[in-house]
Amino acid sequence: MAIEPTQRTTTQGSSLRSMVSLLVGNKEPPLAPQAAMGFFTDTSLCIGCKACEIACKQWNQLPASDPVWTGSSYDNTGQLSATTWRHVQFIEHIGRRDMEDNGVGGDKAGTSLAPTIYEQAHEQEYSRGDPRGRPDIPFTAPGTTLPFFNSDRWLMQSDVCKHCANAPCQEACPTGAIIRTEFDTVYVQQDICNGCGYCVVACPFGVIARDEYGDRAAHKCTLCYDRLKDGFEPACAKACPTDSIQFGEVEQLKAQARERLGILQERGVKEARLYGVDDNILEGGLNSFFLLLDEPEIYNLPQNPQRPSNNVIPASFWTIVAAAVMGLFGILFFRE
Amino acid sequence: MEETRFPQVFTNGALPAAIAEQLAAITTGYTPDPEHELQEPSYYDYPVLKAPVWRWEIIWYFFFGGLAAGCYVIASIAALFGSREDRIVARTGYYLSLLSLLPCPVLLTKDLGRPERFLHMLRIFKVKSPMSMGTWGLVSFSLFSGVTAVIQAARDGILGRWWAPRLLAALPQRLVAIPGSALGVFLGGYTGVLLTATSIPLWSRSKVLGAIFISSAVSTSSALISLVLHLTRAPVQVLHKLERLEWVALLVEMAGLFAFLRGTGRAARPLVGTAPTEHGRTFWSFVAGTGLALPWLLQTLSLLVGRSGNRRSGRGIVISLLVLMGGYFLRRTMIEAGHTSSADARTTLWNAKR
Repeated sequence: MAIEPTQRTTTQGSSLRSMVSLLVGNKEPPLAPQAAMGFFTDTSLCIGCKACEIACKQWNQLPASDPVWTGSSYDNTGQLSATTWRHVQFIEHIGRRDMEDNGVGGDKAGTSLAPTIYEQAHEQEYSRGDPRGRPDIPFTAPGTTLPFFNSDRWLMQSDVCKHCANAPCQEACPTGAIIRTEFDTVYVQQDICNGCGYCVVACPFGVIARDEYGDRAAHKCTLCYDRLKDGFEPACAKACPTDSIQFGEVEQLKAQARERLGILQERGVKEARLYGVDDNILEGGLNSFFLLLDEPEIYNLPQNPQRPSNNVIPASFWTIVAAAVMGLFGILFFRE
Repeated sequence: MEETRFPQVFTNGALPAAIAEQLAAITTGYTPDPEHELQEPSYYDYPVLKAPVWRWEIIWYFFFGGLAAGCYVIASIAALFGSREDRIVARTGYYLSLLSLLPCPVLLTKDLGRPERFLHMLRIFKVKSPMSMGTWGLVSFSLFSGVTAVIQAARDGILGRWWAPRLLAALPQRLVAIPGSALGVFLGGYTGVLLTATSIPLWSRSKVLGAIFISSAVSTSSALISLVLHLTRAPVQVLHKLERLEWVALLVEMAGLFAFLRGTGRAARPLVGTAPTEHGRTFWSFVAGTGLALPWLLQTLSLLVGRSGNRRSGRGIVISLLVLMGGYFLRRTMIEAGHTSSADARTTLWNAKR
């Protein structure tokens, strides 16, 4: 590998370093760090239009997956995969709840989130959110009216890579293919990945996957790294018609998320909660976080997943203990 | 894993489900409660995790890697601490170590999605990633295993009588064996640590998988060495030492496995349960039963009875074969059950509550 004379002068400091550079070329200086960028996915605004899924597929030129009829909901994507980086979930709980008759507190997820003007004016008269208390809405059997007017619940969430602050996939990657970009996002360098599959089992959210039908390397959401480089927002956030997907600086987005949570809780959506905003999950929080309308498990999100790399030390310890026991006995037996 | 599965007739006939379920409940301390578990929330039971991409290549790599590591360590113990007679253990062990090592890089490369990029593994050195450390460990161990075996071959006169073998034979093999053994212990155990450092509930919940794998490496290796020594009619005293080491290794392995099942609890179901997707029948029959408990009991018996001359070949060979089979099935059921575990949404979510 030829090295320019100008480069040679810069590597003269250490002979070892210059030898390494001679073999593999000079190490590129890291890019100037920028503000951490991420997603805030507000599920209370999601209408399940799947524009994000399509925009992602189009921008990133991902092949379409054959839609399958799951039989359980309007979800025909099923899961995030190597070629699906946004996945809209449809959580349909019909005829679910009869126990809360006074309608105060409890699960308001399926009811109207924003009180109507009529409601606001007559707040004293009605226990808000319970359709049975409203004279303008006749009582109907569960499952027979639109979700907006009864207690049946229809939650939607656009799932995506969480771009964890301590990303298990990045920690596991043995080739250095998975890196943190200057935007603090987690990115798979496609020319480096050799498809070992360790990131696939490291990810506690089931996001990253190996493309078995394509190039057999690992793929996941890039947070539209190419668009970020050019100062555009990611394709899904751009396409989202309700601003359920918001893109921006992580710190600013987190403040926005907390504010939104406050508004929702004030309006009686007590079940609303944030996921990944504080630093609990994976000991550093997520750069792509969510506002959920129920417990995380409803959305298949693990409540507090362990960080796989934390297991290395205890697992190594027990390995050494076992090896020491057997080694001592071995020495004892052969010494006789 | 369909292509590597046994014909159903074989696995179904192996062990009655009721006994396997009893054993599962006793060892894991957990009895399934479907009525309660079905109430647990999840997203239509779609898997939370992605299934591992590792298949038969990795199972055989774990098996051969364990043999390569264990044979080297046992050979080194025999060379460093044994008597003159024990040199046959060292010699056999070093040769077997190199032989078992040969398929490993091939299997690992084949397992990659992009085999032509296998050298990318050597781009970085990452202490946090057991796979990165494992790659470096395997590369350095290969060097030591190769050098030690070549020295052994030179000393045994296999390489002829010209100057190069004479030079090689003069190299300090016992000195090479010390760092080599440390790397051997690493190679035998890191595979378990690697599986523990994932999000798969079965592999990661208890932290003792590395201990199980290293003890299995020692037990299968002593079985392999004694198998070869039985076939070549080695002295009884030498075999006796190996058999005692094997006995200890099997005991450690059983203790480790018990600790694993206790610590994993509900998440161990894919390994010990008897549902169609679970691997309990194979596990109880070929790992815990005929792979561990039976050879251990036979070994106890033959150690207690003492060393009478005529019984050694037959029973010794049977014990060795059983242990080797158990070691293979341990790795296979562990990997296959990991696939099942990744698909169980409710247990994954349960595992993430802490």
